[in-house]
Amino acid sequence: MSHRPPAWVLAIVAAVYVFLHAPLLVLVVFSFNESKYSVEWTGFTLHWYQRLLERHDIVDGLVRSVAVGLSSTALSTVFGTLMALALARHRFRGRSFVEALLYVPIVTPEIVVGISLLILYVLLGWPLGLTSITIAHVAFNISFVTVVVHARLQGMDGSLEEAAMILGADEITAFWRVTVPQLWPGILSGAMLAFTMSFDDYVITSFVSGTGSQTLPIVVYTMVRKNIEPSINAISTIVLVVTTVMLIVSDRLSRDKPLSAD
Amino acid sequence: MDRKNADAMFEDFLAGRLDRRSFVTRLLALGASATTTAALLEACSGGTTETPKPADGGGGDGDEHAKAKGKGKHKADGDGENVLPETKELSIYNWSDYIAEDVVPEFEKETGIKVTYNTYESNEEMMAKLQVGAGGYDLVVPTGYIVTVLAAQDLLFPLRKKKLTNWANLHPMFLNPSFDPDNKYSVPWLWGTTGIAYRADKVKAPPDSWAVFHDTQYKNKMTQMDDQRDVIGSWLKFRGKSLNSTDKAELDQAKADALQSKALLKAYVSAPVKGQLVSGDVWIAQLWNGDTMQAKAENEQIAYALPKEGAGLWTDSLVIPKSAPNIRNALAFMDFCMRPEIATKIADFTGYGSPNAKATPETPIAYPTDEEMKRLEIQKDLGEALQIWDQIWTEIKAG
Amino acid sequence: MSGGPSVRQRVLGWFHERPTATAWALLAPGGLFLLVFFVAPLVIMFGYSFMERGLYGGVEAGFTLEHYAAFFQPLYLTILLRTVVMAVSTTLICLALGYPVAYTIARAGRFKNALLFLVILPFWTSFLVRTFAMIFLMRDSGLINSLLVKAGLVEEGITMLYTPFAVMAGLVYGFLPFMILPIYSSLEKLDLTLLEAAEILGAPPRARFFRVVLPLSMPGVVAGSLLVFIPALGSFLSSDLLGGAKQILVGNLIQNQFTSARNWPFGSAASFVMMVLVVIAVGIYLRVRDADEAREA
Repeated sequence: MSHRPPAWVLAIVAAVYVFLHAPLLVLVVFSFNESKYSVEWTGFTLHWYQRLLERHDIVDGLVRSVAVGLSSTALSTVFGTLMALALARHRFRGRSFVEALLYVPIVTPEIVVGISLLILYVLLGWPLGLTSITIAHVAFNISFVTVVVHARLQGMDGSLEEAAMILGADEITAFWRVTVPQLWPGILSGAMLAFTMSFDDYVITSFVSGTGSQTLPIVVYTMVRKNIEPSINAISTIVLVVTTVMLIVSDRLSRDKPLSAD
Repeated sequence: MDRKNADAMFEDFLAGRLDRRSFVTRLLALGASATTTAALLEACSGGTTETPKPADGGGGDGDEHAKAKGKGKHKADGDGENVLPETKELSIYNWSDYIAEDVVPEFEKETGIKVTYNTYESNEEMMAKLQVGAGGYDLVVPTGYIVTVLAAQDLLFPLRKKKLTNWANLHPMFLNPSFDPDNKYSVPWLWGTTGIAYRADKVKAPPDSWAVFHDTQYKNKMTQMDDQRDVIGSWLKFRGKSLNSTDKAELDQAKADALQSKALLKAYVSAPVKGQLVSGDVWIAQLWNGDTMQAKAENEQIAYALPKEGAGLWTDSLVIPKSAPNIRNALAFMDFCMRPEIATKIADFTGYGSPNAKATPETPIAYPTDEEMKRLEIQKDLGEALQIWDQIWTEIKAG
Repeated sequence: MSGGPSVRQRVLGWFHERPTATAWALLAPGGLFLLVFFVAPLVIMFGYSFMERGLYGGVEAGFTLEHYAAFFQPLYLTILLRTVVMAVSTTLICLALGYPVAYTIARAGRFKNALLFLVILPFWTSFLVRTFAMIFLMRDSGLINSLLVKAGLVEEGITMLYTPFAVMAGLVYGFLPFMILPIYSSLEKLDLTLLEAAEILGAPPRARFFRVVLPLSMPGVVAGSLLVFIPALGSFLSSDLLGGAKQILVGNLIQNQFTSARNWPFGSAASFVMMVLVVIAVGIYLRVRDADEAREA
C-alpha cells in the first residue's frame, strides 16, 4: 500500500464509521435492557431473546424478508447487469432515452409504486403474497443495480474481451472469464444495495403483501403505534452477528485457498 | 376511466360472466369510485343494486367464498339468510399489539380454526387495500369514522346479530354509534380518549386546558400528535367549537392557534413520545389515555388530564369486509371476544377501555367521569371538508 | 459436442453482426419486466392524476387538469423548493463524507471486503430501530449531550433532536451507502500505475488527485449523486421521525394525499410533476455527457 491516504482523510473515514455504527451499538445494548422502552438502562436481561421463541410473527417475518431479499436481489442483479452492459457497450438509437427512463423508478415516490402495483395485481387477479412482494422489489431494484454497474463499466474499455476473442474465446466465454471478473465489484455493490433496500422496505411491501405474508419491516412498523418491543433489537442483533460470522468464515475459506482462479 | 374496458366488463357482467363483486372490484380498480359504481349498477338493474343470480344453493356470497377457499363446505345455517360456508381459517387484520396475546391461541384451540394475524400501521393503509379490492381479510379494526367510509363504499358485510350470542354484554353507551347507526356493521372493540399526558414532577400545575400548548414557559417541552384530526381538533375544542367543524372561519382560527403553539412545540409526534415522557425530555404531550397508562408503568410521575374545553373520544370497532372468505369464523371470533373474560384480558393487555359492560379490567385506566364524558366528542368523517382540513394542515406544517 | 458449438457460433455470429439487436436483447429481460410491473401501473396512476377525487379516496370518472394547476401555487412551490435544498445538501454532505471512505476502501488491500461490509452492515437492521437509536443519542438528555456535558464542552445539552440538523443526519445516514458503493466500484478499477506514473513525473499529491483520480472516478460520483439526490427528494420518514414532523417535504405531501387527505389524483399529479422534473434534468445531463463522449471519440 504505497498510496496510503493522508491523515485527514483517514480521520473523516473513522468519523463516518463511528457515525454509522454508534446507533448499532445502542441498538445492540438495548436488546439486553430490561425496560420495554429504549430510553434508559434499567438492568441486564436475556428476556427479549427468549421472547423471540414466543413471537413467531417476528421470526417468520425475518425468514420471509431473507427469502424475498435473496430472490429479488438475484433477479434484479441479473436484469440490471444486462441492462448496464447494453447501455455502456452499445450505441443504439434511443440510448439516452432508455437511460433517462431508468431513473423513473428511483424518483417515483414509494407510495405511488405501492398503490399502483396493488391496483395492477387486483386487475390481473394476481394473489398477494411473497411472489407479489418479490416482483415489486425486483421492479424498484433493477434501476439501482443498473446505475451502479453502469458506473463501473464506464471507461472500462473492451480491449481485454477483444484480446480474449482474438485468442479464440467466443463472446460467452469472454463474458464469463473476462467481463464478469472485471465487473465484479460493481455487481457486488449493486447486489448489496438491492438486498439492503429489499430487506428493509416497508411502504411498498405494505401495499402488495397479502394475508400471511408479512415481512419483518411490516411487523416492526406496525408496532410503532404502541411500542417497538426490544425483541426487534434482539433479532436485529442476531442478524448482525450471523452475517458478520458468515463473512469472516467465507473470507477465511477463500484465503485458505491460495491457488484460486486469480 | 378506460371507457372501452369498462364497457366490455359491463357486458360480461350483464351476461353473467362476471359476478357482481368482481365486476365492482374491477370497476373500482379502473378508477370509478364506489358512488359512481353504485349509481351505474342501479341504473342498469332497474333500481335494485342486488343482481339476481341463478339459484346456486348458497347465494352470491357463499358461492364465491367457497370458490375462494376451495375447501368450504356448504351447510345450511337455518337462519333463513344466505348460507355461510364452513371453513377452517380466519384472517385478522389489526393494529399491532391490539389484542391480548393468548386470545388468538385460545380461540384456535377451542374451535380448531387456524388464525392468520396481520397488522397495519394506519387506517388509510388498510382502507386502500379494501378499496381497490385486495381481499383475503376476514376481520379488520377501523377507527370510528372509518367505518362510515367503508360502509358508504359498500365494502362491509352486514352483521348477523343472531350469531352474536354475547351481544347483550356490550355497554349501551357504545352501541348505536353515530358512525354506524344500529351497529349494522360494527362491534365495538376498544375505546379511549385523546387528552394531555404530563410529568407531574415537572409542571407547575396540572394542565386543565388546551391553552397549555400556548404557555411559553414550557417552550420546547411539549408535543402534539402528528395527526391533523387531533391537532386541529384540539384547537377547535379550545375555542368551544366542534372537533368536526367544517366552518372556514372556525378552522382559520384553529390554524392561527396551531401556528402560535407550533413555535413552542418540540415536535408533532404520536405514540413514540412515550419514551421521552419517561426520560423527561418532554413534559406535556397530547396523547391517548391507554398509551399514557403504559408510560406510567415505567415512570410514576406521568399523569393524564382531560382539558376542560373537551376532548376526543374514539372507538375502534371490529368489522367484516364484504370480500372476507371466512365470514362464519369472523362472526364466531367477534362473539368469542365479547365474552366477559376475553374482553377483560384484551382491556388489561392493551390498557384501553373495554366496551364490554361485564368486563372487569384491572388496568388503572383513566376512565372519564360522567361529567367529563359530556365534554367528549366523537370524530366524524369530514366528507368534502377534508380538503379544507388538509390544506390548513399543510399550511400549519409549512409555516 | 458436434452440433452444440455450431449453433452457439451461429447465434453469436448473428448478434455480432447486429450490435443494435444485441443491445436490445440485453435490455429485453429487465426492460420487459419493468414495462409490465412498473410502467403499466404508472400509466394507471398517470390516468388517475387527471380524474376527479373520490370522496372516500380513489378516483371518480372525469377529466380535469385542476390537480396539476393546484400544485403550482406558492404553498406547494415553497415546499418543493425546501425539498430541493434539502436533497442538494444531503447529496453534498454524502459526497464529502462518502468519497474519502470509498477512496480509502479502494486502497485498503486485503481489508477491502471487510470495510465495504461494515458500510452496508448497519442497513441489515430495521430502519425504525436504528432511527430510535439515533433519537436516543440525539435527544436533550441523550448520550451525546451527557458526554458533552461530562467533558465540560457545553454547560447544558444542545437541542439536536427535532431540528433540521437531525433530519439531515438521518438522511445522510440512510443514503451514505448509495454514494460510497458506486464511487468505490469506479475507483477500485483505477489503475495504480497511472498514479505512479504521475508521481514519477513529479505531480504533487493534490494534482495527482484532481488531474488523475477524480476524473477517472467521475462516473461513480455522478451515479452516487443521482442515487442520493433523487430518492432524497421523495423522502418523508426522516423529517417525520427526526424532524418532529414540523417541516413538510414533498414526500410527506404526497404521502398525505394518499392517506389522510384522501386525494389520490392530487397525490399522483404532484408525483408526476416531481418525476418529470427529474427525468428532464437527467436527460439534459445525459445529452451533455454523450456530446462530450462523442467529441472525445
